[in-house]
Amino acid sequence: MSFARIGGIFHIDMLSIMLIVLVSFIGVIIYLYSKRYMKEDALYQKFFRNMVTLLLSVILMTVADNLLLFLAAWCCCNGMLVRLIIHKSKWKAAKASGRLAAQNFILGVSFIILAFSLLYTTTGSLSIQEVIHHPNKSWYTVMALLMLLMGAMTQSAIWPFHRWLTSSLNSPTPVSALMHAGVVNGGGFLLARFAPLYFNTPKILSIIFMVGLISALLGSLWKLMQHDIKRMLACSTMGQMGFMLVQCGLGLFGSALAHLCWHGMFKAYLFLSSGGAAQEKRLELDYPPTFISFLCSLICAALGSYLFTSINNTPWFPLDSSVIIVEIVFITCAQLALTILRGAPFKKLPIAMIVTATMATLYGANVYLFDLILSPLKLMQPQPLNFFHFIALVMLLVAWGFILFVRYAHNKSKLPKWFLYFYIKAFNSSQPHPSTITTHRNGYNYV
Amino acid sequence: MIEKTHIQQKEITLNLKNNYKKTHTIEELIKESWKKIAPFWPLKNLIAINPLQGFEDLPIEKAMIEGATFFEQENLPSAMELINRQTIKWLQAFFDEGQATINMPFRTSGFYMAWKKLVYFDDQLHGRDAKKKKWILTLPDSPDKAITACLIKMNIPKEKQITFLSLMLTTLPGWASYIKYRINWTEAESLHPHAVSETDYIAIRLITTCLLWERAAELLEWHERAKALQLNKVNPIKKIQQAETVYLQPLLQKLASQTLNPLPAPDTQLIFCIDVRSEPFRRALESQGAYETFGYAGFFGVPVRIKNTSTEEVYTSCPVLLKPQHTVNESPYSSENCTQDRQKYQKLNNIKAIYQSLKYNFTTSFALVELLGISAGLWMALKTLTPILATKYHAFITKKIRPVMAFMPSLENISFAHQCTYAESALRTIGLTKNFSTLIVFCGHGSSTQNNAYATALDCGACGGRHGASNARILAKILNSQDVRDHLNQIGIIIPKDSYFIAAEHNTTTDEVEIYEANTESTMLTKKIQQLKADLEKARKINSKKRLQEMSCDSRNNSYTDHTKHRSLDWAQVRPEWGLARNASFIVAPREMSKKIDLEGRAFLHSYDYRQDLDGTILTGILTAPMVVAQWINSQYLFSTLNNVAYGSGSKITKNITGKFGVMQGNASDLMTGLPLQSVYKSDTEAYHEPVRLMTIVYAPFVFTDKVIKKQPVLLTLFRNGWVQLICIDPNNRNHSYFLDRNLTWKRNTSVLTACSS
Repeated sequence: MSFARIGGIFHIDMLSIMLIVLVSFIGVIIYLYSKRYMKEDALYQKFFRNMVTLLLSVILMTVADNLLLFLAAWCCCNGMLVRLIIHKSKWKAAKASGRLAAQNFILGVSFIILAFSLLYTTTGSLSIQEVIHHPNKSWYTVMALLMLLMGAMTQSAIWPFHRWLTSSLNSPTPVSALMHAGVVNGGGFLLARFAPLYFNTPKILSIIFMVGLISALLGSLWKLMQHDIKRMLACSTMGQMGFMLVQCGLGLFGSALAHLCWHGMFKAYLFLSSGGAAQEKRLELDYPPTFISFLCSLICAALGSYLFTSINNTPWFPLDSSVIIVEIVFITCAQLALTILRGAPFKKLPIAMIVTATMATLYGANVYLFDLILSPLKLMQPQPLNFFHFIALVMLLVAWGFILFVRYAHNKSKLPKWFLYFYIKAFNSSQPHPSTITTHRNGYNYV
Repeated sequence: MIEKTHIQQKEITLNLKNNYKKTHTIEELIKESWKKIAPFWPLKNLIAINPLQGFEDLPIEKAMIEGATFFEQENLPSAMELINRQTIKWLQAFFDEGQATINMPFRTSGFYMAWKKLVYFDDQLHGRDAKKKKWILTLPDSPDKAITACLIKMNIPKEKQITFLSLMLTTLPGWASYIKYRINWTEAESLHPHAVSETDYIAIRLITTCLLWERAAELLEWHERAKALQLNKVNPIKKIQQAETVYLQPLLQKLASQTLNPLPAPDTQLIFCIDVRSEPFRRALESQGAYETFGYAGFFGVPVRIKNTSTEEVYTSCPVLLKPQHTVNESPYSSENCTQDRQKYQKLNNIKAIYQSLKYNFTTSFALVELLGISAGLWMALKTLTPILATKYHAFITKKIRPVMAFMPSLENISFAHQCTYAESALRTIGLTKNFSTLIVFCGHGSSTQNNAYATALDCGACGGRHGASNARILAKILNSQDVRDHLNQIGIIIPKDSYFIAAEHNTTTDEVEIYEANTESTMLTKKIQQLKADLEKARKINSKKRLQEMSCDSRNNSYTDHTKHRSLDWAQVRPEWGLARNASFIVAPREMSKKIDLEGRAFLHSYDYRQDLDGTILTGILTAPMVVAQWINSQYLFSTLNNVAYGSGSKITKNITGKFGVMQGNASDLMTGLPLQSVYKSDTEAYHEPVRLMTIVYAPFVFTDKVIKKQPVLLTLFRNGWVQLICIDPNNRNHSYFLDRNLTWKRNTSVLTACSS
């Protein structure tokens, strides 16, 4: 892989190319969509100006090899996003959403400025490439990496900086799509850019892993509790971003980038199609499954995860941090099989095995290809297992089982007090910031 | 005959003034306080309704002012906003119809009981205040008692209690409207697993208020100030009246100058829905040949519930004012196809279930996005770049799994006597009792839009916000039955042997008409159907062109139909069609009266021949049922245009669907009732719909019309209070139209202004 350097302040590598492709692809779709969707809106021109500026600044950010240029692009992108979130400035709640996002971004930028100053002090260079290829173990670097992590967390709405994102739904639908598919990925990109430094300080990887895990589980929990489509999608993004950080924390920055891309497309699609949410009927999934179906599903899962790992040339039970990825594949295959096996587990076992195997193979191939593309960046370095990884292994399994076996307790007429306490605790904490709710109908304004 | 409306039974009027001094029982208090709230239907069948229905016993000018004091206030006391925030939170949770995976516990115990069991744990309500927590524990199990306790606790004076309780509802009006629908308008409410009652909600509102606002009695003062403020505002009625005159005067002149020549024997007769969108299409078709068209309520007089035997889905397909009398099964032709189709539907569902099971769980959703990301991206690109191709592709895939089959209704649940009644009533109402042509088409209608939360608002209101094809198929089948025809023969309606009835559906978004063909061996008929199809295609082009001009789209000559098709399939389209916007009048007359006039798609057309209505039953039926529905539609468009925030549902661009049944704005808000901005406005600032009241024009002797309406209290309320204007064109002296004024006397006057000013 050849590096292209232009004028000393740009650097184009596979990472930038990948993100440029992603952002342009999603950007063009959202642009065309908005042309019809926002037609005759009073602020039509302004909307498109902001959107195009945002997209260009993201592209600039991905190719910048200068700390100051990077910072400028980062600020510009977030500034435009705030303007897009507000859109209807006479609507108090929308303004409040914008303010909340702005506060968060200012905090994030402050972290990044601190980080960059520290990095500049230690290396004496403004070039990002030089900075990341001169690792050292000084306290300054450690601090800088922590600050960068904080910056990434604010950008990707990682707990405890998630609230701006779950309160940002006063913005027009295409803005949400752009935000969830593009701008929140900034955190993942930032970490991936500085990955070589993080590999050098594995302790921080554990921190990244833990905050990621908390966000992943909390975001998923909140997502499952939401009663409106957009807030559900927002909480889901928070969870997915958490998972992206989990992958970073496992030393699998490449997987995190793949996740960022696929999630971006998936979430953009879900936001743009959110107008049809009422037509999607929820289907009966026959939980809890019978013991026999459950056993059969485990057989399918073993097969699926085996195929997945063999495509990626890893052992079925890897003794490093990538075991978590294998576990997730295993659980997903089991869930997939479980739905197919409903009703007649023995009869449907062959078809379930075929479907699971096919899906696992496709998934494995997908991951393999991505790794191949990103391999020159050396972003995949599984870490040795530690205590936190064991916690995660258990929690991912328990959380999955909760939906399968426990959720239906809700139809009971008596429930333990602690359960109610936690239900309401979780429900209340997932509410958007109070100032961003339109509490009085006539406080809403579309002009 | 059309069933009696049960509006009157729904709204038991209590004479407020006489009872004011007396103390009310708690039931009376609650009943009275809910009166200001109009019901609002869920997204699955959006029925148009007058948002000021609770004020219809007032003259419209007064109702608008009263409505404004309750619904259009710019500010709320800040404590009330706090209360609303907490109420919205629990309302969203309780009424969820399938969005969340982890749901609010105890919902089967009913709203009040479920909420009461949880509220002790809600810090946001009691703020961990020990005293408040203790009070919560003492709350009675009966919501009635809780209401009494709260009113005492807040020190609300007896004579102000009704107002206070009303304010509890009107300060969050949209949600209250939905609850009103749930309580009064769902047939299956008693079966709904999550019950709610009028007292439940008021009790919850009051307890929340008690917890968050000690001096809540101040809300009454706020209301008094609001009232005073409203008095100085300009009443919108003046502008409305002007627009009405401009519309009505030329129309009446044109109507009066028509010569009513009996038409030459028609080739084909088509019966369309009264919907304003039928009118331009009918005219376009009539210009293609010897077609005679009629206007009739789009459910074609058959009050049924439709059950799809493959999907097991059941829905009511008749106006909400009526109770469905029969459940009609719809299934593919042969029983073999039936089982096959059911299995294939199951198969399709199983695939969806896999997706849902991975999406709505922890852990698995992380892998799901990586698995589906690329397909979602490509699909999104296809849908945005070429919606038509995307739809074709989608249809191709679904057809592979479940081929499309023609569905037929089975009449087994409609007794022979009923079949005869429906057949006779339909034909008599529209005046089609002789001169039958060989091909007679019942043409229902429906819309087709993508990614549109308000899709059902564009469907047939007479079919309860659904597509009308099923009802058309039922009536066609009834009228093709030899036994029914024999019966009609006996009562003097002679349908020739070679006359044949078929059903069709007009797609109002694309102007396509789908014909549901009958198994006929007659070559003559097949030929006729071929001819009809060709002419419908021509009519489609004419109407598409006209409609695109209304949407200010300039499209190249031949692509009009492509363009309307594109609009209907485009997921980014916020204005797929104009729906019933600009509706203004309701014309009850034979088609000859209006055939030569371009009514601009602004008129509901109901066919009617007074000479066949000796005792006035038909006219009574038309005015008390379809006209009332038209008035609901008209008022919804009127008020959604006048104030799209208070009575409409705001811009589509920031909408957020909650619980799969309603729309909120942004993060969370009041439930947005009424039509979205994009349905009635061309742009953020310029209205497309012209706010006018419904103008009903009846072609019949005015003495006769007078006799008919005087017997109907529902109609008298509407006319006396100016919600609808009634104009009569007398066949005996067509140069004059008669206006019914507010005192219910007829004025033979050509000037509209004097007739409708109060």
